[in-house]
Amino acid sequence: MKDRIRNYACVCTLAAVLTGGLLWISRAAVEAQPRGKAVYDAHCVECHGPAGKGDGASAAYLVPRPRDFTTGKYKIRSTESGTLPSDDDLIGSVRRGLYGSAMPGWDRILADSDIIDVVQYLKSLSPQFASNPPKSIAISDGLPSSPASIARGQQVYDKLQCGKCHGSDGRGAGAVATAFEDDWRMPLRAADLTEPWTFHGGATSRDIYLRFRAGMAGTPMPSFADAASDAEMWDLANYVVSLARKPVWSMTADEIRQFYAGQQAQAKADPVKRGAQLVDTLGCVMCHSPVDEGKRMLPGMRLAGGLLMRINPFGDFPTGNLTSDQATGLGNWTGDEIKRAITKGIRRDGSRLLPFPMDYGSLSTLTADDLDAIVAYLRTVPAVSNKVPPPSRPFLPVYLWGKFRMLILGADLPMEFYHGNAGTKGASQ
Amino acid sequence: MRRILKWALLLIAIVAVCGFGAFLYFIPPFFTTPPETFGKALADAAPEVSGITDPAERAIAARGRYLVMTTGCIGCHATNGSQGPDLTKYLAGGALKIHTPQGIFVSRNLTPDPETGIGRRTDDELKRVLRSGTFADGHVVPGTAMPWPALSNWSEEDRHAVVVYLRHLPPIAHRIPAPVPGNAITIPGTIEQDYAGKDYGIK
Repeated sequence: MKDRIRNYACVCTLAAVLTGGLLWISRAAVEAQPRGKAVYDAHCVECHGPAGKGDGASAAYLVPRPRDFTTGKYKIRSTESGTLPSDDDLIGSVRRGLYGSAMPGWDRILADSDIIDVVQYLKSLSPQFASNPPKSIAISDGLPSSPASIARGQQVYDKLQCGKCHGSDGRGAGAVATAFEDDWRMPLRAADLTEPWTFHGGATSRDIYLRFRAGMAGTPMPSFADAASDAEMWDLANYVVSLARKPVWSMTADEIRQFYAGQQAQAKADPVKRGAQLVDTLGCVMCHSPVDEGKRMLPGMRLAGGLLMRINPFGDFPTGNLTSDQATGLGNWTGDEIKRAITKGIRRDGSRLLPFPMDYGSLSTLTADDLDAIVAYLRTVPAVSNKVPPPSRPFLPVYLWGKFRMLILGADLPMEFYHGNAGTKGASQ
Repeated sequence: MRRILKWALLLIAIVAVCGFGAFLYFIPPFFTTPPETFGKALADAAPEVSGITDPAERAIAARGRYLVMTTGCIGCHATNGSQGPDLTKYLAGGALKIHTPQGIFVSRNLTPDPETGIGRRTDDELKRVLRSGTFADGHVVPGTAMPWPALSNWSEEDRHAVVVYLRHLPPIAHRIPAPVPGNAITIPGTIEQDYAGKDYGIK
């Protein structure tokens, strides 16, 4: 009888402890989610968007595009092709950042616990984490780099036809495919294999081996696990490591001058590519494309103009259509007219731009070659018919009163950037 | 006699009002420098790199100077004087105050002053702002306030060149107010920039 009571008490205690433990664990899990969401909302939304769909306000200007967390496709994994990344993969990417992209390393900015929480939150955005658990790759020891291994790696590079996308020299020479899209039909570049500091997932032979072995989900880079042996992939990794060139921060003065001269020669040989780079980096796209309420670029409206700026008290200035459309874009402008607008602030009809916000003073310091490159690129921008109305000035007394307030009283008059398209799409067709 | 005086005074008043109106109408909006000469003024204002002793650093800084000049950093990061941007205070910040749904941001001091500029920021921190709009304290400046999504498309080597050039600017002490978080727009769906041609730095 006493024994039975003791047994009963034991079982009860055990049950209570277990229940308590389970409750504690489940409460911790419930709490982790909102905490991760708070971290996400504070730091990730600008690029990855409020719902994690990779459509934040800044997303449309970035190449590669920020990850869409709802699809469960991740490039940087140490798990088998077709499976999801491990927690450590995700934590590593958040901590280290993805080199060569806008994703910064959050190590030492966020606490470790915040990084772990935000990763749990990211996983909750894709149902596939529950149904398709990660299958880790058993990574072999690898092969130390040696001239023989590198030579074998070069043969593997040819055998697997890496040059088709990455070029025979690792930087696009003779590549068959040059324009890439990811699974979301967003533009993508093939990695320049001579610039290891841009390898998203790191540049050690182990990192590179894992990219061959696991593939990069969502991109045209497949897994070569079936096409090459383990040793071949290690040789290939050693070969890719050997392709690295010196970055500008390690060069001597003579090498730097040579490097920049080479860049200039390349720019002259391919002005469209150089022009695209200039239009992207000078921020032309950020004003000359209309946006929605979330400040996201309207689809299909890149460089089509129509973003309304109300510059008090000077009036409404919708940005111009820079696409090659004949009737509503720059299609009929001569190269000199485009350059005059960019460098002197004079429109085609001779009227003048305000010296702000289009900073033609700064643009006028571009070299002649770079201006030619911008024109060459703008000629190739697919035509979008979007008729943008001319600027409108406010009623004269309002204008004078505003100027009086601004210049004499020193009032802050805001410049307002509106969402929506101020132009008429497809008007001239 | 008195009537003539009255009429004359009235006439003078009318002329004065009209003249003032015309003055307001015709005065150039922001800067008194003629627009066509902006470029030259900006190029002249960007400090030369010839004083840098290390030849490799000098070559990289020259590239950085071109990028800083052409990309129009001065457009927001100027310090305004009474006659428009004070080009003797190149990139000392404070020209613009931007209201966004994420907060209020004033353009910062990009000179290497240790107290008020970038002097104490590491290269990695500066590059992270240029690449990701992310500051060391974790706040992310919206792309609509600072066009980092455009600058993010610079190659890592160009970003390095920009940082090297900024490091060699003459340091200018000019304190800028810290960002104020929270929704700061009055008209929904807009971004508002104050640009009254004054200095939004702390005097």
